[in-house]
Amino acid sequence: MAIPIEMPKLSDTMEEGVLSAWLVDEGEEVSAGDVLAQVETDKATMDLEAFDEGVLLKQVIGEGDAVPIGELIAVIGEAGEDISDLVDDAGGDGAATAEPEADPDADAEDASAEPEVEPEPAPEPSGDGQLSERTPEPVPAGTDAEGRRIKASPLARRIAQEHDVELAQVDGSGPEGRIVRRDVETHVEKQEAAPEPTPEPEPTTEPEPAPQPEPSVPEAPSYAMPDEEAAYESEGITQMRETIARRLAESKYSAPHYYLTVDIDVERAIEVREDLNELAEEQGRAKISFNDFITKACALSLHDHPYVNAAYRPDEGEIHKHNRVHIGIAVAIDEGLITPVIRDADRKGLSELARETRALAERARDRDLEPEEFEGATFTTSNLGMFGIEEFTAIINPPNSAILAIGEIRDTPVVEDGEVVPGKRMKVTLSCDHRVVDGAKGAHFLDTVKSYLEEPMNLLL
Amino acid sequence: MATLEFRTALREAMTEEMERDDDIFLIGEEVAEYDGAYKVSKGMLDHFGSDRVIDSPISELGFAGLGIGAAMNGLRPIVEFMTFNFSFVAFDQVINNAPNMRYMSGGQFDVPIVFRGPNGAAGQLGATHSNSTEALYSNIPGLKVVSPSVPDDGKGLLKTAIRDDDPVVFLESELMYGMQREVSEESDYTIPIGSARVAREGDDVTIVAHSKSYHIAMDAAETLEEQGYEAEVIDPRTIKPLDIETIVESVVKTNRLVVIDESTPFTSVASEITHQVQDRAFDYLDAPILRVTAPDTPAPYAPNLMDEYMPGADETVDKCLRVLYAE
Repeated sequence: MAIPIEMPKLSDTMEEGVLSAWLVDEGEEVSAGDVLAQVETDKATMDLEAFDEGVLLKQVIGEGDAVPIGELIAVIGEAGEDISDLVDDAGGDGAATAEPEADPDADAEDASAEPEVEPEPAPEPSGDGQLSERTPEPVPAGTDAEGRRIKASPLARRIAQEHDVELAQVDGSGPEGRIVRRDVETHVEKQEAAPEPTPEPEPTTEPEPAPQPEPSVPEAPSYAMPDEEAAYESEGITQMRETIARRLAESKYSAPHYYLTVDIDVERAIEVREDLNELAEEQGRAKISFNDFITKACALSLHDHPYVNAAYRPDEGEIHKHNRVHIGIAVAIDEGLITPVIRDADRKGLSELARETRALAERARDRDLEPEEFEGATFTTSNLGMFGIEEFTAIINPPNSAILAIGEIRDTPVVEDGEVVPGKRMKVTLSCDHRVVDGAKGAHFLDTVKSYLEEPMNLLL
Repeated sequence: MATLEFRTALREAMTEEMERDDDIFLIGEEVAEYDGAYKVSKGMLDHFGSDRVIDSPISELGFAGLGIGAAMNGLRPIVEFMTFNFSFVAFDQVINNAPNMRYMSGGQFDVPIVFRGPNGAAGQLGATHSNSTEALYSNIPGLKVVSPSVPDDGKGLLKTAIRDDDPVVFLESELMYGMQREVSEESDYTIPIGSARVAREGDDVTIVAHSKSYHIAMDAAETLEEQGYEAEVIDPRTIKPLDIETIVESVVKTNRLVVIDESTPFTSVASEITHQVQDRAFDYLDAPILRVTAPDTPAPYAPNLMDEYMPGADETVDKCLRVLYAE
C-alpha cells in the first residue's frame, strides 16, 4: 500500500520547507530510519527520515522546491504499485492536496510560476479585496446633532442616563469641553428648578450657537511652561466660538452666496417713526427703533416671496418653504454672536416687535436665552449701521436661504426733479443662497422691502 | 501600643516566629556577626546561634538557591538581600525556581521562603542601587509581593509572610528603617496578606500609595484639606495579591483616582491599578486616572536631580487638583 510522505513540521516556527537534496533516487529501496532527503527549514537543514519500509516510488517535488507543511513530497510503496491517485492529486493542482490549510500558499506558488508564460503580471487576486470587504464598519459613538462625538466622563454619562438627560444639551466644563459630573448635575438642577417641559418644538435641524452659562475653561494644559517670549496669547476656543466657526464655514462653503444691494429712501420712515414714538412716549409703550421697521418690512415681504423664506434640504431632496415667518436678529454679545428669534413677526405690530426685540436682545447679552428663543429662524437680519458701516455683506445663517445686512442711515445729496437736495438714505444688502433664491427672486423681494420702507404707512396696515 | 523603629518591628516579627518554629532560619550577607547591614537582625545571632542566623558569602544566586532547596526539604528560610538591587544577581532563583516549583512538581514541593530586604531608591545611591522591584516581582505568577509603609504593618505582615507556604517577596525601605511609629503589642499579631488599609477617609479623591509613597500621599492629603478637598488615602500594603476591592469601593465613592508609585511608570504597579480600576469602575470615573511616578529614566545621582526624579507631595497635589477639575 502506497504511503504518502508529506513535508513535516521540523521547527516550531516553520511554515514551509525547501527540499535541498534527494538522498534516495526513485526506485531505490528504503527502510525505516533511512534519510530520504535534506530539508531546509527557516532555522536549519535537517534530515527527512523514512518511517516505513518500501521503495521510493516517486519524488513529487524537485530539489530546490519550497512547499508548505503537509504538502506531498514523495510516495513510498511496493515496487510497481499504481500511485496515480496520490500523485495526480498532488501534481494536477496544489489546492487539491489533503491539507486544506496549504491552499492559499499553493495558489501563490502557482501565481508566481505563471509570469514566464504570461508576461502580464497577474493582479493579486481575491486576498486584498476580501480583506477590505471584511473590514467592519466603525461603530458610531455617542454624538450630538451635528454628528460630532460628545466628550463626557464615564460617570457623567451614567448620571445623564439615570436622569434622562441628553448629553447634547449639556455644556462641558472639563478639558476640551468634556462633560463631567458637575455639568450634568447643574443641568439637572436647572431643569428641576424650572420644570418646563423640555422644549422640543423645533426639530434638531436648526441648531443655533449654543448658549454657555459660563466662559469655558481655557484649553491650555496646566503643565505647559509659560513662555515669556511667546508671540501670541493663546485663548481656548469656546463652544460658542466653535459653533459660529463651524456653522458659518459650512454655510459659506455649501451655499453659493450672491449679493444684492439697494439704496432705500428712508425720509418718510424717519418721520413716521418720530410720530409713532411721540405716541409711544405718551402711552408709556416701548420706543420703536428703525430696526423694528426693517423687521416688519422683511416679515411682510417674506409672505410674498416664499423662496426667500425657505430652506434648501439636499439630504431630503426637498426645499422647505416655511408657512410661518420667524425672523432672527443677530445680536453681538461679549462672547460672540447670537440670533434671538421673533416668531410670527409678520403678525405682530411695531410696538410688540419693539418690546420683544429689546427683551430678547437683553436676555441674549445676559446669556439667558432658552433654546427655543434662538432656534428656528426662517430669515435673519444683521445690522451694523450703528457702527457707521455704510454697507456690508453677511453670511447666511443656515439653513435660511437669505440674510439682510443693514447699513447706516446717512445724509447724502440726492437728485430730485433735476435738483441736488439733501436726502436720507440707507443701503441694505441681501445675501442669497442661489440654490433656492435665483437673482430675479432676490431682486423682487428686495424691491418689496424697499417699497414698504419708502411707504411706511403700509407697515401699519 | 509600643513606639518602635521599623527595623525593630521587623526584628520582633522574625524573632517571635523563630521562637515559635525551629524550622525557620535567617540567611544573608552580614546578618549575623555584623547584626545586619541595617541592624534589622541585631542580636539575633546571640539569641538563636549560628545554625539559625547564618552569614552567607557574597553570592546571592547561591544562598537564594540554598534557601529554596531548604524550603523544598521542609525548612522555612528567611533570605535577606542586603538590598533588592542585589536580588537581580539571584533573579533566576527568585523568579524561576521559587515560584514555579509547586506547579511544576505537581504540588509535591512547597517553597515556604521569604525574600526580604530594602527596595527602591534611598537618596544618592546611583542608578544601579536605586531600583524599585515591585513591578518586576509582581509580574511573576507564584510570587506574593508585600510592601508595608509603617512599622505596625511591617511586623504583622512579615509574620504572616513567614508562615505562608509559598514564596513571598517582602520589600522594606532603607529610608524607613529608622521611622518610629506605634506597633501593636498584641501577642502573635498578624495581618493577612492581600488586605489594603484605608489610612484616611475622604469623599473627593482617592490616592493609592504603598511604602514610602504612602507618606507622600498623607502629606498631599493634608495640603488638599487646606484647599477644601478631602482625599481618601489607601495603602494596599500587599502588591500581590492586590486588594482591588477596597480601591474600587473608594473610587466608586470619590470618582477620582491618583496612584503614587515611585517605580518607573511603564508596566508599573500604578499601571496595573489603573487598568483594574477602569475595568471595574469605568462608569464611576469622572476623570482620567493619573499617576505620580519616577520618570522613565535611570535614577540620577545628583541630589537636585534626585529630588526631581522622586514623586513628591506637590506633584501629587497638582494631579489631584487636575482630576478634581479644580485648576
